[in-house]
Amino acid sequence: MYLPEELSAALLAADENYLVGLSNKGTVNRAKKDLAALTGPESMPNGAGVTVKLDGAECVITAPLGQSRCSCPSGSICRHRITAILWLKRQLDAAPASAPPSKPEFQELRAYPPEKLAKQLGLKRLSAALFRHQSGGGPEIAETSVVTVDMPWLPASVRLLEPLEHSSCTCHSKTFCAHKAEALLYWQLNEGIADPALLQAAQSAGAALDLEPVRGVCQAVQQSLTAQLAAGLSRMPPGVCETVERMAALCHTARLPELERALRALHGEYAAYFARSATYRDAALLQRISDAFRLAAALEASDEETAPALAGSFRDDYLPVGNLQLYLLGMRDFSGRSGYAGTIYYFWERDAHRFYTFTHVRPTFYEAESRRRPAAIPWGLPCPLHQAWNVSLDLTGAKATYAGNLSASDRCQATLLGHSNPGRVYPGEQVYTDFGLLFAQRSLPNTPERERLAVVRPRRCQPQPYDTVQQRFTLRLLDGEDRDLWLEVRYKKEEAKVVGLLEQLADKLSRDPRLAPVFFGVVFRESDRLKLYPIEFFTEWGEDT
Amino acid sequence: MTELLDDMELALTDLMQSGFSTGGAAAVQRLQTLALNCEDSGLHTGSALLSEIQQALAARSHREEKHDLPLAAAVCRTVRYIQLCREKLQEEQIAKRWQSIKLEEEF
Repeated sequence: MYLPEELSAALLAADENYLVGLSNKGTVNRAKKDLAALTGPESMPNGAGVTVKLDGAECVITAPLGQSRCSCPSGSICRHRITAILWLKRQLDAAPASAPPSKPEFQELRAYPPEKLAKQLGLKRLSAALFRHQSGGGPEIAETSVVTVDMPWLPASVRLLEPLEHSSCTCHSKTFCAHKAEALLYWQLNEGIADPALLQAAQSAGAALDLEPVRGVCQAVQQSLTAQLAAGLSRMPPGVCETVERMAALCHTARLPELERALRALHGEYAAYFARSATYRDAALLQRISDAFRLAAALEASDEETAPALAGSFRDDYLPVGNLQLYLLGMRDFSGRSGYAGTIYYFWERDAHRFYTFTHVRPTFYEAESRRRPAAIPWGLPCPLHQAWNVSLDLTGAKATYAGNLSASDRCQATLLGHSNPGRVYPGEQVYTDFGLLFAQRSLPNTPERERLAVVRPRRCQPQPYDTVQQRFTLRLLDGEDRDLWLEVRYKKEEAKVVGLLEQLADKLSRDPRLAPVFFGVVFRESDRLKLYPIEFFTEWGEDT
Repeated sequence: MTELLDDMELALTDLMQSGFSTGGAAAVQRLQTLALNCEDSGLHTGSALLSEIQQALAARSHREEKHDLPLAAAVCRTVRYIQLCREKLQEEQIAKRWQSIKLEEEF
């Protein structure tokens, strides 16, 4: 039987795996049965292909096999086409000149640009894929006449074959879906075709800002702020609030989240001024104007490399960080003026020696005051998180932002390891006993809270009288050189318990000055004092037990 | 030093209240004095910044077309300068305070 050369090659290369990739296993099995029952189908050459009439259907089999057609109404590769292909393969096998099929080289899969795959996946998915590849937790890849990629975490199984558009995925997408893109990327990474470093760079370039509109928006912001300074606050109409809001919206559209935040903060100051709020300060308003103006000027002068860092990000993505060995060192309740309240849990990572946080936050603006908030039970824990205080836990498949805020995703699984004293987990050399060092390393102004967290062991503690005017609890902590650190908590409803506990500690310290508590908190500077906002204190640190 | 920084901040917030158009003339003399005080106190950058604002305000009243962008930029830079000075001053004050406690203990 005569078969065009190209079709012969395609038929020889197509083994059962290829046919399964082209359709699915069920269709191939059904086609095999049909083939067994088939009695002499009619076939004739048809251009570059062959027409096969069987079971009332007329199939035109061409190379590549995925482009074969059938007279039946099926939208995908039907059993008729697979039966016809199998029948033609049998005819070819019977021919004496047929050469054994060689291992496919997957030229098309190799030639697909990795940057295009990175762009399709996006930063979050690409970062996760690169992390999996680097940590050895990638998919199972089997290479036959097709490349089968099993990704159980999605879950999805992709069969990549040539031509690429005939690849199949368990999501049944007929297009080049994200699963197919991810599978191809894993295969290219395994084959050394895609370079992880280049992919990250390509992604950054993809996220690059279009500087032309950015400069336009930044100029508009500067001109508007200049006009406000020229007119003067005393002549400013209340409509300036809307002007600032509109500018913030423009910044949002131009993908400048940091400038948007600066303008929204300025809007807040203007709103406080026009509402005659007691908290309003001229200096604070001028500071906001200055911040927004300088940021706009810096963005206008920036180039493609520096602009993304100045522009900031709308929200932090949670990226895989592998397995974490955590220890819950402390927690604190907070209630923001924005209508959200909750608890921040502070974890010490025993391996990397850094802090991670987990924030359990709830909106409060439509909840009654008395309503009890549900406790945080993330990562399949058998108990609420607050009950795991001073407990070590291993978190597998953890995800966190760059800043170190942990995701509550159910895909992260925690295993509780048991209670232990913080001194046995937290390294002694990281406990600050020298406040000079604490001042230099942990109190830098305008740094995020996480960089100002510290564990402090004072030489002495001097309880101070409660400030009834300012409603403030104060405890003076002194180091070996008599440098002082002022522990301060202003009384608020959420701080009532904290103040109560600290007062009990102050009583104990008055009775027993040898007591040496250890404090964990946030360090900051105020006027001529170094201060500590306490998150936890420990009367039994326990490194010696 | 704290008083000087407070005076600089007050001069700028007053200028923000009245605006360049109205408060400019009144601010010129005040800024000139403050620039001299800064120079005397060793705040050379502060002095240069205040002089820049003062000169821009003085020149502004003689111009028909106002180009306020450089003036606004100078005001914003000065605000940032004051903030940085305050941070540095605070650092020194804390160190000084600790030093004085130590000296008291020794005596």
